[in-house]
Order: sequence, then C-alpha cells, then structure tokens
Amino acid sequence: MDEPALIQSAQRGDLDAFNSLVLHYQDALFNTALRILGDEDLAADATQEAFLSSFQHLNSYRGGSFKSWLMRTVTNACYDELRRKKRRPTTPLEPDAEDGDEMDSPRWLADSTLTPEGQAEADELEHAIQHCLDHLPAEFRAVVVLADIQGLDYAEVAAAIRAPLGTMKSRLARARLRLRECLQGFAELLPAAFRLQEERS
Amino acid sequence: MNPRDLELLSAYLDGQLAPPDSARLESRLASDESLRARLNDLRSTRGLLRQLPARRVPRNFTLTPQMAGLQPPTPRVVPVFRLATALATFLFFITLVINGLVLRSATSAMAARAPAPLSAAQGPAHAATQAPALPPALNALGATSAPRTLSAAPRMTEAPGPSAAGGAPLPTEISTPVVALKSNAPQLESGQPVRTQTGPSVPFDLEVLFGILALGFGGTAWILPRKYESNLRKKWNKK
Repeated sequence: MDEPALIQSAQRGDLDAFNSLVLHYQDALFNTALRILGDEDLAADATQEAFLSSFQHLNSYRGGSFKSWLMRTVTNACYDELRRKKRRPTTPLEPDAEDGDEMDSPRWLADSTLTPEGQAEADELEHAIQHCLDHLPAEFRAVVVLADIQGLDYAEVAAAIRAPLGTMKSRLARARLRLRECLQGFAELLPAAFRLQEERS
Repeated sequence: MNPRDLELLSAYLDGQLAPPDSARLESRLASDESLRARLNDLRSTRGLLRQLPARRVPRNFTLTPQMAGLQPPTPRVVPVFRLATALATFLFFITLVINGLVLRSATSAMAARAPAPLSAAQGPAHAATQAPALPPALNALGATSAPRTLSAAPRMTEAPGPSAAGGAPLPTEISTPVVALKSNAPQLESGQPVRTQTGPSVPFDLEVLFGILALGFGGTAWILPRKYESNLRKKWNKK
C-alpha cells in the first residue's frame, strides 16, 4: 500500500483512496475504541465517527505518522462518547453488594459456563483486564491502550493524545501501576507468572 | 515507590530512557531487589495488556459518498438525456400552443363568417351557401381533420356578437344556422364530401410523439443517476 499516495488522493476528495486507508486501519481503530469504551457497539460508532471526521478534516493532516493522526481522531471520538455516557449513565454490569457498593470482585465474571473451560478462562481474564481499564481515568486509559495494546511508540502516543511527552510518560507509568493494583483482585484468573511476581512483591 | 522511580521504570521497560539515565537505573536495579520486583510487576502488567486478543471488526467502516457528503459522479450520458428532455418538452408545448392558437383562430374565423341573425325563412338555404366558404378560411390555417369541424362548430354559439349587426340574435335564430352548418359543411357545392381542413397545423401524432419523448427522456435522466448510485453503493458494500 502506497500510503502517501493514497493520502494525497484522499485529500483531493478521492473516496476510493480514503476507503483503502480505512480498510487498512479499521482494525486498529476499532480495537482502540473497544478498549477505551469497553462496549462493542459504542466502539463501532466511535470508529465510524472517527473515519468520517478524518475524511472531512483530511486537509489538516500535515505529514508525520498517519496512524497516530487517525488514533487522535478515534481517541477524541471515544472521549465524546464517554462524555455522552456520563451525561446518560447506564446500569453497570457489576452487581451491587448488599451495602450498595459496587462489588470489585471477579466473582461476577465467573458465571460464564457455556463456553469450554479454557475459552472461559481466557474470556474471564479479558473481562478482568477490561474491567480494570474501565476503572482508569479516561486520559490514563487512552495512553495505556495506545502504548501497550496498540504498540504505538511514545512520540506517536503523545501526538495522538496531544500532550507533551513528559505528561504522556507520567500517565503511562501511573496507568500501569493502577492496572497492576486492580488486577491483583483477579489473582485466580491471572497467569502463573503474574501471580508469582505478585506474591514476591 | 515514588512517582519519579515509577516513571523511570516504565520508560526503562519501553527502552525510552536516555543512555546515561538507563545506566544509572541499571546500577540501582542490580542492588535494589524491591526496585527489580516493581520493574517485573510493570513488565507482567504490560505483558497481560499486550496479549489481549484483537477483536475482528463487526463490519467495514468504509464511507459511502452520502456519508462523506459527496455527490456521486453523474454518468456522462445524463446531461444528454436532460437536454433531450428539455428539447422534447419545449417542442411538445410549442405544438400544443400552435394547435391551440390554430383552433382558436379557426373558431374566430368561423364565428366571424357566421351569418348575422337570420330570419327563420333564410335559415337553411343561407347556411348552405355559406358553408363552402368556410373550409378555405380554415384551410389557410392548416386545418386537417374533419371531427374538429364539429367540435368547433358549437363554439360559434359562444361568439355570435361581432357579426350580429342589427341586434343580438335570439337563441332560436342562431341555432338554426349552426345546425345547418353542421349538416352542410362537409359538402361542396357539387355535393361531394370534403375533407374539411380545420384540424391542428402540427400533426396530432407529432404532438403525442414529443410528449412521449419528453416523458421517456425525463424518466431516463431521473433513473440513470439513481441506478448508478445504487451500483456504486453495492460496490462499496462489497469492499
């Protein structure tokens, strides 16, 4: 794929060229949105919105990492979605405990008995990680998703979240620490290596 | 662990520390077990995140021209059909207007030649002599079909005024020549039937043809872009 040529054509209004870029990047954008929002339908909406916004503002792209530029649009779309969600809160997946507090235990995730055991464990671990991601502040979540899940380098992440490199580094370190603390509550789901280190610490 | 060490460990994990900072941290790691444990915690946390499965997209997120606010390109032949539609419509209305005018003129001419109020005694005979004079008048206007004569004839009753010298005719007076005209008009003096040429100046078939062409071209010019857009959308969806 000749990305620069496609971008140039798309900037001249060639929708075919832009759609080639969409097909190339849609997995990355959708998975980023999915991990930030924790909901497949919302992630699909945010991804579509991000591509539409990207096409409409394509002339504001002035070079550099196109993936990073796209990630910024999807991150913004996710922030918009989170703001909307905050204004119209929905019932959380987690059941409330008797005292009204939200249960922070992995037990609520462990009732999936329909899938084979191995798949169920993998699903539960994924749910646990997503649960911990959902409990991070949005700006921490975006950074850790872009860096650790999407594998962007520091400069790309900083460009995507429009923050200085120092701020981005700080957010990433604190996000990782918070995730680790959260995941300790799901000890039985974690791989052995993770548990051993956890016990050691 | 203080925030500064946390940031150093996180950046070191990603290979993002400058060489001097990295060397200093490595010497600390060699002597500080707790720091090493923290580094391993961060590494395993990052490892868990990295092994999260990537989900397949539920659908393609390609944009359609409508979504992007673009008008789909119009097929090249469409402007030709639009022009043809405009031309056919123009010709249709022109023929319509010409035929209308001819009809009106014919009616006026007939009304002008219509006898002044006739007495009952003059009636049929006078009308009979007048009748042959009408076709040439209408012929000059290019009339062709006989049935129009009959349809035009009743109009005479609407405009008897101009020729009604000596007072408005009574209905009974005017009705007589009209009936006489209807019955006698198709006859020449020799008694042969005549093709009364009181129809439109543009053939009726041509008028209908223009109407059909206008509708046909217009319909094609309307359907083609939509068909093209629909095909385009199918193409997008296939991708």
